[in-house]
Formats: sequence, C-alpha cells, structure tokens
Amino acid sequence: MTKSLFLDPNELRKPGKVKFTDIQVNQYKKTIEEEKKSKNFKNEDLLRIYRDMRIIREFEDMLYSIKTTGAYNGIEYNNPGPAHLSMGQEASAVGQAYLLTTDDYIFGSHRSHGEILAKGLSAIQKLDEKELYSVMENFLGGKTLKVIEGKQKDKGNIKELAMDFLLYGALAEIFARETGFNKGLGGSMHAFFTPFGIYPNNAIVGGSATIALGAALFKKANQKKGIVVSNVGDASMGCGPVFEALNMSAMDQIAKLWEKGYNEGMPIIFNFFDNMYGMGGQTMGETMAYGILARIGAGITPSQMHAERVDGYNPLAVIDAMRRKIDIIKKGEGPVLLDTLTYRMAGHSPSDADSYRTKEEKDAWAKHDVLVNYKDKLKKAKVGKEADFTKMDEDIIERMEKIVRLAINDEVSPRINLDVNPDTIESIMFSNEKVEKFDDREPDVLMPMEENPRVQQIARRTRFGFDEKGKPVSKNKVYQLRDGLFEAIIDRFYKDPTLIAYGEDNRDWGGAYAVYRGLTEALPYHRFFNSPISEAAIVGSAVGYAMSGGRVLAEIMYCDFIGRAGDEIFNQLAKWQSMSAGILKMPVVIRVSVGSKYGAQHSQDWTSIVAHIPGLKVAFPATPYDAKGLMASALSGTDPVIFFESQRIYDVGEQFHEGGVPAEYYEIPFGEPDVKRAGSDVTILTIGATLYRALKAADMLQEKYGISAEVIDARSIVPFNYEKVLESVKKTGRIVLASDACSRGSYLKEIAQNISEMAFDYLDAPPVVVGARNWITPAHELENYFFPQPEWILDAINEKILPLPGYVPTSNCTTLEQIRRNKLGV
Amino acid sequence: MATPIIMPKQGQSVESCIIAKWHKQKGDSVNVGDMLFTYETDKATFDEEAEVAGTLIDVFFEEGDDVPCLTNVCVIGNEGEDTSAFKPASEDDDEPAAAAAAEEAPKAEAAKPAATVNTSGDTKASPRARALADSKGIDVTAATPTGPYGRIIERDVRDVIDGGLGASRGAGAGIAGTGIGGKVRAEDLANAPAAASVEAPAAMPEIEEVPITNIRKVIARSMHASLSEMAQLTLNTTFDATEIMAYRAKVKAAGEKLGLENITLNDIVLYVVSRVLLNHKDLNANFTGDTMKYFSKVNLGLAVDTPRGLMVPTIFAASDKSLNEISAEAKKLAAAAQGGTINPDLLQGASFTVTNLGSMGVESFTPVINPPQTGILGVDTLTTGIREVNGEIKTYKKMGLSLTFDHRAVDGAPAARMLRDVAFGLENFSLMLSK
Repeated sequence: MTKSLFLDPNELRKPGKVKFTDIQVNQYKKTIEEEKKSKNFKNEDLLRIYRDMRIIREFEDMLYSIKTTGAYNGIEYNNPGPAHLSMGQEASAVGQAYLLTTDDYIFGSHRSHGEILAKGLSAIQKLDEKELYSVMENFLGGKTLKVIEGKQKDKGNIKELAMDFLLYGALAEIFARETGFNKGLGGSMHAFFTPFGIYPNNAIVGGSATIALGAALFKKANQKKGIVVSNVGDASMGCGPVFEALNMSAMDQIAKLWEKGYNEGMPIIFNFFDNMYGMGGQTMGETMAYGILARIGAGITPSQMHAERVDGYNPLAVIDAMRRKIDIIKKGEGPVLLDTLTYRMAGHSPSDADSYRTKEEKDAWAKHDVLVNYKDKLKKAKVGKEADFTKMDEDIIERMEKIVRLAINDEVSPRINLDVNPDTIESIMFSNEKVEKFDDREPDVLMPMEENPRVQQIARRTRFGFDEKGKPVSKNKVYQLRDGLFEAIIDRFYKDPTLIAYGEDNRDWGGAYAVYRGLTEALPYHRFFNSPISEAAIVGSAVGYAMSGGRVLAEIMYCDFIGRAGDEIFNQLAKWQSMSAGILKMPVVIRVSVGSKYGAQHSQDWTSIVAHIPGLKVAFPATPYDAKGLMASALSGTDPVIFFESQRIYDVGEQFHEGGVPAEYYEIPFGEPDVKRAGSDVTILTIGATLYRALKAADMLQEKYGISAEVIDARSIVPFNYEKVLESVKKTGRIVLASDACSRGSYLKEIAQNISEMAFDYLDAPPVVVGARNWITPAHELENYFFPQPEWILDAINEKILPLPGYVPTSNCTTLEQIRRNKLGV
Repeated sequence: MATPIIMPKQGQSVESCIIAKWHKQKGDSVNVGDMLFTYETDKATFDEEAEVAGTLIDVFFEEGDDVPCLTNVCVIGNEGEDTSAFKPASEDDDEPAAAAAAEEAPKAEAAKPAATVNTSGDTKASPRARALADSKGIDVTAATPTGPYGRIIERDVRDVIDGGLGASRGAGAGIAGTGIGGKVRAEDLANAPAAASVEAPAAMPEIEEVPITNIRKVIARSMHASLSEMAQLTLNTTFDATEIMAYRAKVKAAGEKLGLENITLNDIVLYVVSRVLLNHKDLNANFTGDTMKYFSKVNLGLAVDTPRGLMVPTIFAASDKSLNEISAEAKKLAAAAQGGTINPDLLQGASFTVTNLGSMGVESFTPVINPPQTGILGVDTLTTGIREVNGEIKTYKKMGLSLTFDHRAVDGAPAARMLRDVAFGLENFSLMLSK
C-alpha cells in the first residue's frame, strides 16, 4: 500500500486489451564457423566446452556404474546414498556456466552434479592461479586440498590441481566424507561450494527458487556485484513457492517506489532445466498446462520476464541465450525466465525402471546426444581431430579413476567420526555467534533516530506498568510490549546496514499490530518493504538473503500462516547451517503473531510444531522487557529464530522488571526461563501470553487456599535451560504447565516429560499440562471454553496434584475424561 | 449553534486516545475540512477534521491528555455561546482505595485437608512422599492419603512426622459437592460428616519432667551402640508347641510332688538354647571387631524387665545344668534383678541372650543384641496355627521365635540353621531332655 500511487477509476475502468509479444523457441541457428567469425570463441574454448561436458558425463556414468554394479572400471564401492543423475543435460549446465563469474551465484536442485562441475570448471578457468590456490588452501583448513595435492601428473599446474579439487570435493561430499565440500553432511542433493559461486542445491523440488530470489535481493539491497541463477526443474513450475518467487522478484514497487540506485530489476535468471519429466510424470502433455514452459513468463510481468525456450542440447545455443539474458539484467531489466530444453538419458534415479517412457523415445534422444553431435561439429569445423578427443577422453577417465580411489579410501577420506567426536553434528546445529553488523558501511536510513516520531512518542511513555501508587498506567501512556520490540528492531537497523525487513503490510501500515509504526519514516524501501502475500517467498528469500551474507527480519503476520511457508521454515531455514557443515550462517528472525478473536485459522499457537524441528531457535516473550531483550538477542545472533508474539498482549505494560524497561540496549539470552513470581507450594510454567492467566490462578490459589504458586515464564523454548525449573520443582514438588497451544502434542508435554525424568523423586504429583482443547478455535465469545483459563489451572491442581478443600471444578480433567477424549481423538 | 466534537472511537478495543497535537487554538475560526487535532491510539495516529464551520469556542483537553473515547474534546460555535453543557465531567483522580488493597488476603486455611479415596487397593504414594518417608524411617503406608485418587502425598507423610492425626476420616451422608459443577462425589460423602464430628482436641495434659536414671542412660547407650554399630537382622520362625505344652502340663500336674521347680515355657526354651548353642559356636561368642571369642560353655543371658529398666543377668555354664537347675537359677536371678539386689558380676559375661515378650502377647519382634554378643533370641507368644492333616484342617498351638544376629559375625544361613535347630529341639523336647 502506498499513498503515492493513485488508483484512478477513470483510467482503470476504461476498456482495453492485454498485449503479448511472441515468445521465442529454439531460435539459435549459428554455425561454429559463424561463432568463430564473430569472435565469441577460440578453438580452445570450443574444445574446453567439450571437455567440461565430457567430465560431467564421466562423473555421472561413474556414479551410475557404482549404483547399479557396485563398481567403476573395476574399482568396487557401495554407495547407499541418492544419485539423481543428469546424463544428457551436460550442454545445458556447461552452456549456462560458461559466462558466469564467481560473483554470479547458482542455486540448484536434486539433479545438480552437472551444474556444480560446470560452474566449478568455469570458475577455475576464470580465476588466476593465486586466487585459486588461496581458495583451496583456506577451505576447511586445507583438509580437502591435502588429499589431492601432489597427485597431479603436471605438478605445479594449479588449474589441474583445482580440477581434481573440484571433482574430489564433490564426490567426497556425495560419498559422505569429512573431506567433502560440506563434510559429507549435505550429500548428493545439497552439495555446494560458495567460493566458486556455487550455492546450495536443494532436495525439495523448486526449493531453490525462493532462496535464489533472496540471494538476488541481497545483491540488490546491498549493491553487490553479480547475478543469481535459480536452477530448478520443469516440474517445479507446479509448486506454489516457485510462482511466489517469480512474482515477488518482479514486484512493481521496485521500479515504481524504490529509491534511485535500487530501482533496477531484480538480478536473477529463473532457469528451468526442462527435461520434461517430474520423476515419472511427463510435464508437457500430462501434469502441466503450459505446453511450452516459457509461456509462464508472459503471465508474470509486462516484460514477459524476457522468457524464451533455448535448445539445451546445444551448448552454444545456451551460451548465446545466457549472453543475452545477462545483458538484460545488466541493463536493469530483470528478472528473466529461461526455459532450457533438455532430456535426461537415465531415469529419475538408478532405481527408476523407466516404466513411463518408451525405448523408442530414449533412442531418438540418444541420436541427439550432445557429446556425439558437438564432437562431430567440432571435427567438421576443424577445431579438433579425433585423436584430440580420444586423448581428452583418456585423461578424463584416468582422472576420474584417481578421484574415485581417493574418495572411497577411508584413510584419506574419513567420515566424520561420531564415536571420537560425538558432538560434531550437535556443534553445527546452531552457530551461536554474535555479529553486530554484516558490513561496515554506514546503514542507509532516512533520518536521525531521535527525530523519528515513534521514538519521540515512546520517549513520552511510562516505562513501568504501575505508577508510584501502584496503579496501572493507562494503555496510551504506558510503554507497551510492541514498543519493546520496536526499540530492539530500530536499534539494529541503525547498526547493521545489511538488515532488511519485509512482510505483509509492514510499510505505511506499520505492521498489522503497529510494531513497525515509525519504521516507514526511518528506512528506505530497499530496507523495508511490503511483500506480496507470499509466505513461502518471504521466508525462502530470507534464507537466501542470509546465506549470501545479510541479516533479515521477516514477518508472516499470523502464526497460522506458517503452514504456507512450511518447507521454507522446516527444510530450508532450519537446515542450511548444519547441512553446510557450519559454512553458512542463517541470521534470520521470522516474526509470527499468535492471534485470538479471529477464529480457527487465525488463533493458533504453533510453537510446538516449530520447536519439533531441529535447527530453529524459538522464543515467545510475554512482557515488554523480555520482548525487547529477546528481540535484541535474536537480531544480533547468527541463527534462525522463530519469534512468537501474542496479539493479546501487544499493549501490555511491564509489570515485573524493577525500574521498568531500560531505554538503553540490552540482550536477554535465549533459553533462560524467568521466575515472574516466587512461591513455594506449586510451580506454574507458562509459554507466551498464558503467563497472565497463570498469575491470576496464582492469586486465586493464594487468596482462597493459602497455596503459594511460583510462576515461571519460559520466554524461549529452544534452547531451554531446565535448571531453573528443576530447582523450582525440587522446592515445590508440583508443577502445572500452561500455554495456548492445543494440548495434544504440545511442547509443554515435552517439558513435562523431561521434568518427570529429571526430578522424579522430588515430585509429589505428575506434572500436569493445561493446554487448549483439541478443537478448532471457536468464535471470540466462546474462546473461554477453548483456551486455558485461570480456573482450569486450579481444576488441574485439584484433580491431579493437590485436592483443594471444598473446591468446585469448572472443567473436567479426570482420568476417565482424558481417556474418553483421547479415544475420540479430541 | 454550538456543536461538541467528540473523541472518536477507532476500533472495538480502543478505550481512549491521546491528543497529540492541536491544529486550532481556542478562538480560532474553523472551516469544514480544517484539521482540528491529531490523536493517537497505542497503534496508530489519526487526524480529526472539522465537519462544521464556526469558531473553536472551547477546548477541554490539552496536548498529551488521554481522553476516553466518545468524550467531548472541544466545541465549535459562535463566539459567546455557553459551552458548559458540553464540558465533560472531570475524572475523579482519587479513586476509592482499591478494594483488594484494603482487604487483607485471607489467611491460609488451617483446616485439615480431606482424605481421598483410593479404590485400587494398592498403596499409592508420590515419589516425593516415599522419599520423605524413607528419609525419616517412616512406613509410608502409615500416612492417610489426601492426594488425588487416594494417593499419599508429601503433606500426608509430614502429617505423620509432625505427629498429627492425619486427615480426618468419616462416614455418613455429606452435602457439599466438590465434583464438576458441584456434584457430590465419594470423597464428599466420606469427608463431610467427619468434618462435622471432629472433636475439639483435649486440653494438653501437664507435662512431668524427670531426670534420666543412670541405668536408663546405660541402657540407652548400650542399645544405641548396639543398633548403630552392629549389622543386626532378625529371623522369625514358629514351632509346634504341642510337646512343650504337654510337658508343661505334666510339670504343673505332678512336678511339685517330684520336687521340681515350676518349670515355665521360657525355662524350656532356655534349656534347649543352652544345648543347641554348643553346635553353633559363632552365636555362642563375642565379636570384638578384630577377633571372635568363642565360649566352650553356654553362658546364657536372661533379659529381665525391672522397675529400673532392662537387666540381663547370666546363667553361667547353662550348658552343664539340668532343666530344673536352669529353671531355679533363672527365677533366683530374676528376683534379684527385680529387687535390685543382684551382684553386678552376674550382669555380665553372657555368650548369648534370651528375651521373652511372648508373655505380653507379642507375636514377633526385633530383639536388640547385647554387645559384644553375636545373637539374641526373642521368645514370642503362643498362637493358634492351622495345618492340614490327612486332608483335614487341624488347629495346633504354635509359638514364635525371633533370632537377631550380628551379620558382621554370622551369616544368614548358619543363623537360620541355629534357629531351625532350636525350633526342632522344642518340637522334640522329650528327646532333647536326654542331652
């Protein structure tokens, strides 16, 4: 939304037509001679293109042989891991990589060995020897280099060494060796090597589209060199997040609203390696509707995303297309969509019986095999003689045998040893670093912070929730939880120039709950903008942005919308630090807001779902002091954080921290629960806004039954330090755990179970969880029957922990009822 | 005509707004569409435009004031018009002291928690309650459960420790229901009348404080040392008392005529022990920690209850003495001990002790060893036993024996063998007499 763009009904209601221009299909017609004449290639370039394709073919054939026969050229090996091979697609990969530099990033799919090798070989060609050696020497402390160094025929030839390094690093990664590009933790479908501009490949179909968008956004918002190529398959055009990425990459505001210097098109090519199969599903003719994939570009932008189909069986056609597309991006007219037609000769994986295609079809494509055809063309054009190619083939096979022998040798290529170093994987689940800023330049802001109207408004507020007489300060005068979040956020915007924030209705509106009010005045568009309603692209792009070296604060409004970004949160955000063996950092904070009053799809607390996934930190502050401190901590860290907020308490004042919320910067470490009220008879542990109902329950226990309750606020749940809670339980012997999450599978059950194990002998009763019912959230007027109430906490204590004299329960939490409900699954 | 301007209500949950800025001052002329004031909620800022023209003739709030929604903020009209009718009632700053603050929080009810009903039959006790009971050496089942579903919880064990009466139990019709929504539950029935019939505790009896006698101190030291230093444990058995009872009946009937003592069942036990012990030298011994002192004869200690406390005179060389002699000596020693005239030399030197609480109906107990002896045999009361004889259930008289031994000196099996031999000797007493 913006007031600067006028929606004129007189214009908008006029009749008219949407016009399209033709989308080009396989229009490349040049001969080798013509290309040579136009000085695009020298003979050695043309031969190197053959060599690179031949290396990829040998690499994939080698894996196919190992997967299907347990050996390659007599070298026996069993590789139980995946191998999605790309024989037939070599020209597409080599053609694409030919012009790209190490400043250009590629992101790939599960079938990306060829792209890794092609981009790596291209980088080796372009980097000078000193740079190359330095890259190899500094990677993993030189461990990978050490394995292959000195094993070249032509000793001292750094390019030869680098080719061995590339092949070995990739293969050792596929074979799960510690000397592989990601210490064997990524594997075949996730291998990458950032010094060559090779960014993560992705085992989720289409997973790279939103991430690549984020990398492009990073380059754009931070004015970094290079372009980004998102390599996904044709079948991924059936994935919603891919469409989200296409749209978000081209959103109008960039040209219309973003500041000069930032208003050029997104530097990204969405390339689809269109091999016409999604596993066994034939895209063209069976599962998809587009006929020719390039057509989609016309549906996204008026520029039709400059879409075209290029013949991916001709490396020179692909290079030609890339040359033109890179120019478009350099002119600031991105994004671009490229449909690279290709065909995979082998199945989806070695276990694929090819039950969905005929021998005739495969044979027909084999006649178009690029290695054969391209070689013939070169011979005809007198670029090379048969003997040159035979020599090249022999060298490649010899090199491959050497690399395989090294990669399967347990002594030189060990796996990470979890017996000797059992915490190896544990230690890379989080990076746990503090980084003030990811770049040293001055942060781009629109005004000094003290002139910001929100900052001035907050300065007038009372920073503690009660006045001298102990009376609550009125909502309009009290420093609220949303102010705590704002202070931590604006602080980091003025410190870290790479920090950007986006989400739905962030700018102008100030976020649906007014946390961001004041940021619009403070920040330019390229640091703070409204995203389309595309949760997958919001989170996925944040992942790519962080991977490329920046920090993101993304917001997806309601917690319930997490489902729309399921893959991006669970498979991408959570996993890339560890799948990269700690090479990548993931400084992303995702704000989600837990609602109420708005029914079944706008009121859910999904902390438990998120906490279940390894690799995410999870916080849920309930007071202004904690909100500010935890947000400050999240925004100075290097780990992905799902930051839960509750719409019930954005306006709550600070009631606990003596002296109110400090004006200066401070951090609250993740994982430390906080005792909000001390007590001796029973412990109540809460997550989120339930804290205030627990305090009310504690009042009732004290006033009516003389029971002193200790109330602990979890504040964050991953990580979580049990010591304070155990200390409390050892004292009281009793604990009730309460949150607004549905009780079945609630994270509180996990905490309760751990307490049972760790404090069993101190327990006077089982830990009891009070959660929401396992229903839909009903209308606001009925919510008291759904969400935990203070009385429910007393009911649970009376029924399961400590019968209260004369107590009349309001809800049924008897064992029989528990059995009945579980029988019914409600 | 004067028109009041109210503070608008921006959304359901907004109760008041702050006036951020006045764009017109009192006395300014106002046209339709002019901005009057800017106001803000906790979430957003809004501008209020004039909808009538005239003069701003009164302003009720200043910048920064928090104005309840729908309250009059200012008045537009013709100069000189009366605005008093529109003036909002002034907010009473001094609210009556909060009721909560005035009222003292009720004191914790000291009422006893109600007992709860355990329908499972098995003892249910929380880990915390068990741990507490263990640490205080209390049998957790002694506590009255007040936890959910009849579970014994920490407070119930504390109740036992504190010597409280435990939770009140009762029977009869109850009234106040504590079930969901006030339904009457089994617990309510059990507890309601009990609560009504609880008697006022009797006035505390006067306490008499008496200094501990020396013998009590000796006993205290000796018994405490015994239990704290030795590895004592007790084996219990019973034996068929038919034969010794028959013998005792004979003695009663004709013993006097033969010039025999009034030989009691205890004398018979002493006699059998004095014979059996010769075959179990580890129990006819003193354990010093470094050495065992084995006795060639049996010097039998005899626990005697005296007005001044427990005394244990010794029948020296009992293994050399006849049943009649033992009986006579036991009576003489007991009388001397009770009369306080006993020669102190006779209160030491025993190699084993026999103690009898059976005469007081005790069926089984844990005698405490007199250090440095290695064993003590407790004699229990006669009870009626049943057994099957040729397919029929028959009753018989049986008597209990409780042997405590020092596991540092003797193992369980040899101690059990000794106890078995005593029981066998007593069951076959007529044969034993020839020993």
